[in-house]
Amino acid sequence: MDANEREMYQAAIHGDREAFGMIIRRHSRALFAIAYGILQSREEAEDAVQDALVKAWKSRWRVRDPEKFPAWLCMIARHRARDVFRRRRTVPISYEITEPVESEATDTTALNRQLHFALAALPELHRSALTLRYFEEVDYQSIEKLLGLSNGALRGILGRALASMRKELRPALASLE
Amino acid sequence: MPIVHNEIDNYLAADLHNQLSDEERQELHAHLVECADCRRLHQETKIMNKALEETLATEKPDTAFEQRMLAGFHNRIPQRSGSIAKLIVDLMRLRVTQITAVAAMLLALVQVGRIITGEGTTMPRNREYAAEEQFAAQPAQLPLPSSNDVGALSKSGDRRDNETDQLAPGKTFARSQVTAAPAAPQTDAKDKKQERAEVERTRVTGSNVSTAEKVEPNPVEAQASALANRKLIRNAQVELEIVSFDAAVQKITAFANEERGYVATTNSEKQANGKLRGTVVVKVVPENLDRFVQKIRDLGELKNQTLGTEDITKAYFDTDSRLKNARVMEQRLIDMLKKKSDDINDLLQVERELGRVREQIEQMQGELKYWDSQVQFATVTIQLTEKDMEVPAAFLLKERAQLALYAPEVEKVYDEIKALASPKVQITNAQLDRDNTGRVSARVSMLIAPEESDAQIARVKTMGRIENFQVQTERVAQGGAGMSENAKTKRDKVELNITISREEQEQAFQQTSLRIRTSAIDEKTKELRSLTEKQNGRVRSSSFSRDPDGREFANVSLRVPMKNYSALMQSIDVLGKVENVSVQRQDRTGVQVDEANAPADLSIQVYTQGNIVSQETGLFATLRRTLGQSAGAIMWSLRMIGVAIAFLAPWAIALAAIIWVTRRIMRARTGRGD
Repeated sequence: MDANEREMYQAAIHGDREAFGMIIRRHSRALFAIAYGILQSREEAEDAVQDALVKAWKSRWRVRDPEKFPAWLCMIARHRARDVFRRRRTVPISYEITEPVESEATDTTALNRQLHFALAALPELHRSALTLRYFEEVDYQSIEKLLGLSNGALRGILGRALASMRKELRPALASLE
Repeated sequence: MPIVHNEIDNYLAADLHNQLSDEERQELHAHLVECADCRRLHQETKIMNKALEETLATEKPDTAFEQRMLAGFHNRIPQRSGSIAKLIVDLMRLRVTQITAVAAMLLALVQVGRIITGEGTTMPRNREYAAEEQFAAQPAQLPLPSSNDVGALSKSGDRRDNETDQLAPGKTFARSQVTAAPAAPQTDAKDKKQERAEVERTRVTGSNVSTAEKVEPNPVEAQASALANRKLIRNAQVELEIVSFDAAVQKITAFANEERGYVATTNSEKQANGKLRGTVVVKVVPENLDRFVQKIRDLGELKNQTLGTEDITKAYFDTDSRLKNARVMEQRLIDMLKKKSDDINDLLQVERELGRVREQIEQMQGELKYWDSQVQFATVTIQLTEKDMEVPAAFLLKERAQLALYAPEVEKVYDEIKALASPKVQITNAQLDRDNTGRVSARVSMLIAPEESDAQIARVKTMGRIENFQVQTERVAQGGAGMSENAKTKRDKVELNITISREEQEQAFQQTSLRIRTSAIDEKTKELRSLTEKQNGRVRSSSFSRDPDGREFANVSLRVPMKNYSALMQSIDVLGKVENVSVQRQDRTGVQVDEANAPADLSIQVYTQGNIVSQETGLFATLRRTLGQSAGAIMWSLRMIGVAIAFLAPWAIALAAIIWVTRRIMRARTGRGD
């Protein structure tokens, strides 16, 4: 993290709205990726990010070290998304019920759906890591930092995630080949 | 390569995401060439990656996403404008502000510390002042020659012409310095000097002449001229303790003659103890004043010395110049008279004016003459006191006696004491008090000639029983306060205060109470009375009573002298069975008591045993007692239970409260955790 960035985070912590705006511009997509990884719904993810940003602004004074500001933001977003996810679970309307009705349209949509299922079957952290990678194409180190992972852990996580998806999707992929 | 093979999933993912190092990529590719399984996996993963990329690409946020987020944020957290708190926070974030704040706080702390320790602000200022003065002394030397010139001019020229300068010598110095300062050769220090000269001037004009003298460091002649032109009245006060007043006055006169002076006045005063005290006023030439004072200091012990100088230069020369003006005026008036004007009125007016001016002139001349005389001679006032001034001439021994008497008949003793009055015994106060309860007391105060006092006091003492006798002696020094070995001691009249009270009112020295059981009360009581009278005692009160059970009581209280007490007690034994004897004695501290004659009080109860049988036996009584006891036991245990509850209840309540609060907190926490 360079000095400018540090200063920006510091200013935001001290209540500089401009600086916080900059942070929103810089990090909101990553936050979205994380939230989407958890929720797998764009609208919900967007709302979660919005909520997370507001919450971060309100409790910005809790951050002591500006270096950890992005990771902290991500954590808030994750918590927020998880809250939304949990609340949704209690609502009985389920994905699967609506699914078969509009199925079998084309091969690609079928694959899409299967992909989503496979994604949904992954652990939450794996999903977040995957979406971060695929949405933003962030390098591994940055992702590790954002998600609070130890150095080099992401490779294993992504490897396992892709492998399990691969197993899930093998039949569909075979047809694509 | 087993490592790559084992971790093929990780390698493949990292490869797809371009996160392998070159070395790792080479290893992977090498392995893929060798291993068919991994190749297949590689192929599958690539396809899936592509599919995933395609699928997720549609889910990516659109380009306006950030804008939406920002707008949403701004909507939900509106800007608060003009907040003072924000301004302060912003300010405090600045490094400069922080440093300033810290500095201000330190300064404040230092100030507070100073106030607490009481280290005033005067010290630094003094230091500054000293530095300034030191500094000032240096450049002052440079302009001095010119200032000297000015001084010389004023000295050589006509004194009257230079009056204004003469009148304020301090000012002259200051001005000469100011004017001379810029002429100093050191141009670099020029500004500073000018400043200092300014300071100097203000200080000189503000203070008296002597400071100006001090600042002026140099030439003797300048000082001498200044001194010579000044009109100074010098005087001295000396306080001395000498052995002999007359010898000292003689010596002082001799010294005065030596120093071209004279003794102006002498006065002396003799004290009661024969010592002399006086004042000598000596006039000496001012130049010799210091030497003279030095000489007289050796005459005895110096108690106090003051040397003072009064500068009347200004007033003197003011008057002098006014005198000159008046003289000129006089001359002009005389000239006018000489012109011989025809107008009588004018002449009269001129005459009148001339008279007024001449009066003024005389007055001023007188004033100047007086000052001249004062200046010509210094006045030395010498206070002389002979040694041991405070030694008293004699001592007076004052005796004061207090006597408290008890007598059976107060009035009789009172009259007897009053009858003692004679030329040697003087009764100053006699008073007899009788209140409505019949108590009588008397007070007599008398003054007795010293030679008679012992006999008279002894006589009064025999008139009654002495409760208390006190003598106070006081030695009063006369004509001084110190100690003396050979002063005479005289006895003054003895003051005697007598208080007489009835014996009845006297508190008993010892009190005894006892009971006597007997069968015939009347008889025994009578016997008790006769026994008491035999032992020189008196029955003070007696009472008789009978209670419903048929018991009879007689209460008798009597008083005997202490010396007969034990005899009476022994004889009482004969009357019946003596019970419950208790003896009480009051120790009166600090009072001398005539024990043999002091009264002892006895209160005796004589009683008979009733003849009615107690009902506390039989079946019912036992039953009643048992029931009563069990009821008592029940009440006792109830009380104990109450005590236990009282002890435990607060603890139980506190415990319940703690548990309740803890549970509330736990619930709240788990609620938040969800």
